[in-house]
Amino acid sequence: MTGISVGLNCPACGGSITVVEGEDTIACPYCSSTLFIEGDEGVTTVAFRNRTTKQKAVDASRRWWSSGWKARDLRRVGKVTEVYPIYLPFWRATTRIAGWICGYEIRRHTDSKGRVHQQKIPKEVMILNDYQFSEIAADPGDLGIRSLRNFSGETSFADFDMIPTFEATTSRDDAISHARNKALSSARSSARVPRVTMERLHILPRRLSMVYYPVWIVRYDYRDRKYLTTVDGVTGQIISGRAPGDPLFQSLAITAGSSVGGLLAAVGIILSDVAVEMMIAGIGAGVGVLYLTYRFFRHGSEIIDGDFRHKPASMSETVNELRDVARSLQGAYR
Amino acid sequence: MRRCDDRFVKVLPGVRKGSLINSHRILGMKTLASIKCPKCAGPVTFDTGTKLVKCSYCDSQIFIDRSGAGFYYAVPFMVSEADAIGLFKRWAAGSTRAKDLDKRAEVAGANKQYFPVYMFKRDVKGREEVLIEPAGSTTLPGLHELKVPAGDLKIFDATFDTSGAELINPDIEMLSYMDSLPGEAKEQALVYFPIWRLDYVFEQKRYEVVIDASTGEVFSANFPARSSTSYMIVAIIGFLAFAFEGILALSSLMTAVTLMVLTVLGIFAISFYVARRL
Repeated sequence: MTGISVGLNCPACGGSITVVEGEDTIACPYCSSTLFIEGDEGVTTVAFRNRTTKQKAVDASRRWWSSGWKARDLRRVGKVTEVYPIYLPFWRATTRIAGWICGYEIRRHTDSKGRVHQQKIPKEVMILNDYQFSEIAADPGDLGIRSLRNFSGETSFADFDMIPTFEATTSRDDAISHARNKALSSARSSARVPRVTMERLHILPRRLSMVYYPVWIVRYDYRDRKYLTTVDGVTGQIISGRAPGDPLFQSLAITAGSSVGGLLAAVGIILSDVAVEMMIAGIGAGVGVLYLTYRFFRHGSEIIDGDFRHKPASMSETVNELRDVARSLQGAYR
Repeated sequence: MRRCDDRFVKVLPGVRKGSLINSHRILGMKTLASIKCPKCAGPVTFDTGTKLVKCSYCDSQIFIDRSGAGFYYAVPFMVSEADAIGLFKRWAAGSTRAKDLDKRAEVAGANKQYFPVYMFKRDVKGREEVLIEPAGSTTLPGLHELKVPAGDLKIFDATFDTSGAELINPDIEMLSYMDSLPGEAKEQALVYFPIWRLDYVFEQKRYEVVIDASTGEVFSANFPARSSTSYMIVAIIGFLAFAFEGILALSSLMTAVTLMVLTVLGIFAISFYVARRL
């Protein structure tokens, strides 16, 4: 071997042989020896046929604009500037989990005389399930796509030369271990055994393939800003997107949230004569409502759908904001 | 067909010499690399991700072994200058950025660049690992996170259209990484990825953002931030006022209801002002 290319010959008879990527055994067509393929093994590759037209992608985006709490004038002012399809690479793995999870559940109930009974219910659950896993095989950047939602559709490489293809750059074995962990945790949670005493699960990786999935990128302008939505090329549905929000909805949210939250807290305090738990529940529910609407009030100037890396409306962000506010109030006091 | 020079396929010492790669365009869409068929020496073209190809002359199948050669790839620009500024404005209008940063920031300059990173595919004890290392030293935001953004990898050679982007030369040798990486080489490549570097001025201070020109992701190390104080104060005052009025309703219902109506109007007006202006 002197080059980066290696011609393939049958080691038994020297005849020229053909290998499809992803196969690990073949039969030589000349001498019918069964051959095992070693080396840099590939994976089976599948491409889904793009069934969405440009117009459908634009229409889906425009429908998405008028849903939810997005800017009221988005449909009027928003202008689609660019629409194009791409093929995105995904690892797709089917993992079978087979085995048993044993354990017990404790149930408490109070009888008519006020005595508390404890009951231990033994549980023995058999698991035999196939779990589907998919993960994007490249860095998703700002597309807001992490995994596939749809696994069915016509497969064909017919559009492959016409549509730009994003290359797979992540490790195959990383994807396999993510798939195993995901399958294990779904198997455990589906068993619903609260206290596990014994667990014996076998992980049987069934299949790993590379799926090229067509996605339409729709870029649009809103008041000199550029936003993006992605549309599923098979089902024609919105996968992810960013859109401008509306200050009216933000202020309505906080008005509703602070009034409902405050009144819930008041009810709790009033009922604290009956039971202390009522007060805690009332104030807790009130603060919960306030927190949810505050998040929208603070970050509702942009509405996002999909798996984006940075989500401003998260719990940790709110904690940081509280810390900042505390710091600035401290500064003002001094 | 035109022979390229050695520059485009770096042959690494100590590993077997890679054959020269020619390249040409088909349909004006895909840049394909080409090798000589080891059986009949006919030119065979292949795309970036291909492992097995069939020679169109002698019909024999060829396995492309990338472990011994270094490839040069580039990701095409999907974002124009106007798009980059629009994406920056979208980002600048975000909730954590200073209010109206999108309108008040002045874009002082936009640079179109190709930034180099090394991508190593290694076989570490039977596991495939992908490692990304910087090929150029940088202080630009986002680029130290080291990744190859999703994009249509093309073979980078003399025919590749850089569309006027400045090429940043790698100043770190690929070999300096090769010796210290775990496992055995499967593939290694230098990947040029497309970025827009934008400088902007806000309240007499200069800031910098980097935009990934393949997917449009915006990276920024520091930026004028927006304070959450006024948002939080409005929320807390509203909550406390209603809690108080709720309790008051027990003793004097009419006063409480009147106060509640006033509070609703007040909170709405103040929060609308805050959401629009602060």
